[in-house]
Amino acid sequence: MQQELSRSMTTLSGADPSTYFVSYTVSDREEATVSGSNGALLNSTNDRGRWLEVQTRVGTYQLDDTRKVGDGRPSWTSPGTNVALDDDIGVLRRQMWRETDRQYRAASQALIKVKTSQQVQVQTSEGSAGDFSREEPHASIGSRVEIHVDRKPWEDRVRRYSAEFSKSPSVLNSLSTFTALATNQYQVNTEGTKLAFGLIHYRLELLVQSKAPDGMDIERYANFDWLDPKDAPDEKTVMASIAQLLKETESLDKAPLVDPYAGPALLTGRAAAVFFHEVFGHRAEGFRQKDISEGQTFGSKVGEKIMPDFISIKDDPTQASLGGQMLLGNYPFDDEGVPSQNVQLVDRGVLKTFLMSRSPLVNVQHSNGHGRRQLGYVPVARQGNLIVSSSQGVPFAQLRQKMLDLVKQQGLPYGLLIDDISGGFTITGRQQPQAFQVTPLVVYRVYADGRPDQLVRGVNIVGTPLVSLSKIVGTSDKQEIFNGYCGAESGSVPVAAAAPAILISEMEFAKKETSTDKPPILPPPAHDTAAKGQAQ
Amino acid sequence: VKSIIGLALLAVSAAPAFAAKPPAPAPKQAAASAADADQTLRAMRDELDRAKTRLSLPGAGKPFYIEYRLLDLDVRAVTSSFGAEVSSDTERSRFMSVDVRVGDYHLDSSNFLSEDGFEGFLGSTGQVGIDRDYNSLRQDLWLATDQAYKAAVTQMSLKQAFLRSLTKPPEIDDFSQAQSITRVDPRIEPDWTTRNWEDEARKASAGLKNFPDLYGTRVNYYLIYATTYLMTSEGTTLRTSRNVAAVEAAVDTQADDGMPLHNFYSVDVARPGDLPDPATVAKGVEQAATELMALRSAPLVADYTGPVLFDPPAAGSMVAQLTAASLSGARPPLSSTSEYDNMMERVGGRSEWSGRIGTRVLPNTVTLVDDPTAKDFQGQPLLGAFDVDDEGVQSQRVTVAENGILKNLLMSRRPGPDFEASNGHARSALLSDTQPLPSNLFLQATGTLDAGALQKKFIDACKDDGHEWCLEIQKMDNPALGSVSPGDFSDFIGELAGGISSGERLPLLVYRVHVADGRKELVRGATLDGLNLRVLRNVLGIGSDTAVYNYMQNPAGGLAGTALGSFGSAQGGIPSAVITPSLLLEEVEVRGFHGEPRRTPLVSAPPLK
Repeated sequence: MQQELSRSMTTLSGADPSTYFVSYTVSDREEATVSGSNGALLNSTNDRGRWLEVQTRVGTYQLDDTRKVGDGRPSWTSPGTNVALDDDIGVLRRQMWRETDRQYRAASQALIKVKTSQQVQVQTSEGSAGDFSREEPHASIGSRVEIHVDRKPWEDRVRRYSAEFSKSPSVLNSLSTFTALATNQYQVNTEGTKLAFGLIHYRLELLVQSKAPDGMDIERYANFDWLDPKDAPDEKTVMASIAQLLKETESLDKAPLVDPYAGPALLTGRAAAVFFHEVFGHRAEGFRQKDISEGQTFGSKVGEKIMPDFISIKDDPTQASLGGQMLLGNYPFDDEGVPSQNVQLVDRGVLKTFLMSRSPLVNVQHSNGHGRRQLGYVPVARQGNLIVSSSQGVPFAQLRQKMLDLVKQQGLPYGLLIDDISGGFTITGRQQPQAFQVTPLVVYRVYADGRPDQLVRGVNIVGTPLVSLSKIVGTSDKQEIFNGYCGAESGSVPVAAAAPAILISEMEFAKKETSTDKPPILPPPAHDTAAKGQAQ
Repeated sequence: VKSIIGLALLAVSAAPAFAAKPPAPAPKQAAASAADADQTLRAMRDELDRAKTRLSLPGAGKPFYIEYRLLDLDVRAVTSSFGAEVSSDTERSRFMSVDVRVGDYHLDSSNFLSEDGFEGFLGSTGQVGIDRDYNSLRQDLWLATDQAYKAAVTQMSLKQAFLRSLTKPPEIDDFSQAQSITRVDPRIEPDWTTRNWEDEARKASAGLKNFPDLYGTRVNYYLIYATTYLMTSEGTTLRTSRNVAAVEAAVDTQADDGMPLHNFYSVDVARPGDLPDPATVAKGVEQAATELMALRSAPLVADYTGPVLFDPPAAGSMVAQLTAASLSGARPPLSSTSEYDNMMERVGGRSEWSGRIGTRVLPNTVTLVDDPTAKDFQGQPLLGAFDVDDEGVQSQRVTVAENGILKNLLMSRRPGPDFEASNGHARSALLSDTQPLPSNLFLQATGTLDAGALQKKFIDACKDDGHEWCLEIQKMDNPALGSVSPGDFSDFIGELAGGISSGERLPLLVYRVHVADGRKELVRGATLDGLNLRVLRNVLGIGSDTAVYNYMQNPAGGLAGTALGSFGSAQGGIPSAVITPSLLLEEVEVRGFHGEPRRTPLVSAPPLK
């Protein structure tokens, strides 16, 4: 990599247009996937590949080929190519040379368009920020990570787990997926950065799908993440989770549809964590302040109070665990070769800064190690471990009581307890991500008169979720963690969010649109009593 | 040891249970014992029976036709470049596709494209479990059947609304009757251990290190074992195995003036064990590289109009590209938008033969036959052979044109303006929609010329036309095989699609043959222009050197059955063959290179060794 990099830079820096920055990234990935559905194995594969990405930036740090032109949508995908798995220097160099030429060609053409557009278009204030920040070089060569997965026992487990779901006649489809991933990333650039580091991740996902009698899709999902094979969840833990998902699915099938409601809402820690990730976290990503087609909600709010002063938020990818639980958004260097940093985003209610990649803003010039991407995408500022803390935490039971007091004050019969929220956390498998949409999945009515809590269905948050941040009136004293994959412009990246339970004094909810596709006409084959009767 | 016992057992129970039966209520008599033990067939049958008798929605008719298709796939893919391994994957997967129709054979819910439609939650196609178990497959089929039925009911009402808007609804039936069939072939279990495929791929590409002017190379090995299941409410039960193995190699570079150039080598066989040894593959791959190096320093060709001689492999590719769109006798689907027509037009999908039965379409010395029942030609295996088509219809030999007169067209169960019944040519890849496609297409001729006589006729024609040289095409391009990266291929197809409807075709190895001394000289940069089916009406000479051109039809993006369809790869293509001699065409327009060549890399190539 070093040899080709310096050879390319020597020639291309003197070429017209001149190249001021080149980086080579090789991601050597080994991934084992074992998936089961409805009691049978769906697939069981082991893939290994080396993916090369070459970035050649032409122009200057201030204005280069990556500048967004006009109203055109920027390209989020990043070109690259598979390269040899065998350590054959000659072949690898040939592949790097070829990819460098391809990228230099593309960059040269892009720069011409950028320069033309500069002459004909009005410059926005956002545009006075440069295109690429200058960063210190970093050298760090870590040891190679490897996984050794015996897929056989996992094949039996995913069969067993998905078969367990099929015992319920409510279940239309179930999926259980185990993945083990080892990535060794090698990166060199012409500023002198030279990195080699590895990340390992094991995951088990459970998904169950059902349909309420009115056609509404019901979906429950759970995941387990671990870094060391010995920390894999045991049978008892997984079976308990399956039982819980089944119970929720069957209850949701029968649950009444919610009526429109405005009033107090209590989000459990996990739900609050997802809520903060979606509603606050994404808006704190620096590149959104730069793009004029974005809402730029917080663009000019640095130094202003945006939520109650008992709340502080940081994004800390340097942290591997919190309270003994792993945090999935942990990484040593981001995908632009910048060391990860703990960033205090909100200090006692006041917005401090943004999450930054190497795309600078007028008032934030440098990366803070949050330039991230899925393979095949261009890195942008993304969250790592978003950690929400409160200086006024109270036990959860007390917070619940506080909600009931508010309910009574407002003369309402009940408040809503939100136990799970779907967001940009994507599910691998047959599902589509619903980026930036915040839909409560498990919602209970908590009655003021002491009746038992009642599960309801079809709830949608309306109005601006952001407003609710300022209406947080209390938090619990215990953070809960959500680990997941967040899908956005630069693809799907592993993240964590942690937050205490939060009480919001007023939130507005409406009925969710239901699907017109009714439940299947015939009963599930395994639960078809009519057929059994006929057969005899 | 286990696999040998397995094979022996298969051989005993293998006698393909075969019985053609009249449609509808047929007793399950002929199913072989192998079929009874197959939980896949059992699950399909039980769910189909239940759906047939009990699936109905108030106000909508019951299904009149239900079809289950299932594909059981084992794929091994190994890629190497310059002797180094790039990837090696083994994957086992199974897919289902469920078709439910409401209405009747005359007017049903199929053959209609509209923008609206039913959007279900899981869909009627998808991946299913690979355990070949009973319970999970029934669950999957249950949901897929439910979705397919609801989609059919919706589609039917949209279609009826559209038909009411037409002054005259089409009189052609939607679906033709066909005899049902029961046939359960033995399943062939994959065995990857007989040869070291990674090692072979490395060896096959290692010699390319001796070509420092190559930019990129790839050598792909594909080993594919596929078992297809078909079960219909008419009583058809089918299980067939089809295996394909292929080596596909691409090499590319740039000429000194910047023109991008590539070449390919490919071999397709029916069984992995039949693939040539690595030394033979290496020889073929290095031959392609040698040709590419010659092409690199070859002169550019000037614009030219005159006689062109197509050698057999080039003639095969050319015939496949020209006839693809016109061989099908099925009518296109009714469409509430004109998008479908426009799309097909763009990729060269308009039939020039539909409605011209009984007229002369080829020289009166030429007979064109499509014969899926032919297994080989002069000892050489034909890739397009099959016994039963993908709709469960017995394959048939079809004489498309006899002594130049158009007699017949290739038919699936979708009737067309000229013919009603299927002649066993419905084909699909990876459970996509079936369509009538060629299998083994034979171009037979009387009055053929031996090599010397044909060459003389060629030279004479050139002289008569007043040329100092004429063009001979040895190999046509196939960008699916010749592109080193998938991105290059899609760029290529994108560029080509614009010209394909006006008859633009790409040769790869073109020689200038000098009239004075018969000397052959490789040239580059040629594009054939205005090459459509009508040029085949006037063939000046036909060789006696008939040869087999095996190729994969590309079903991606609806390309199969169009001129672009002959640019396929073993990875998901439809195996086919054209058997043709050399063809001397009287007048072909050839365009030389006029574009702006790209510049060559600024940085010199690093050492390969």
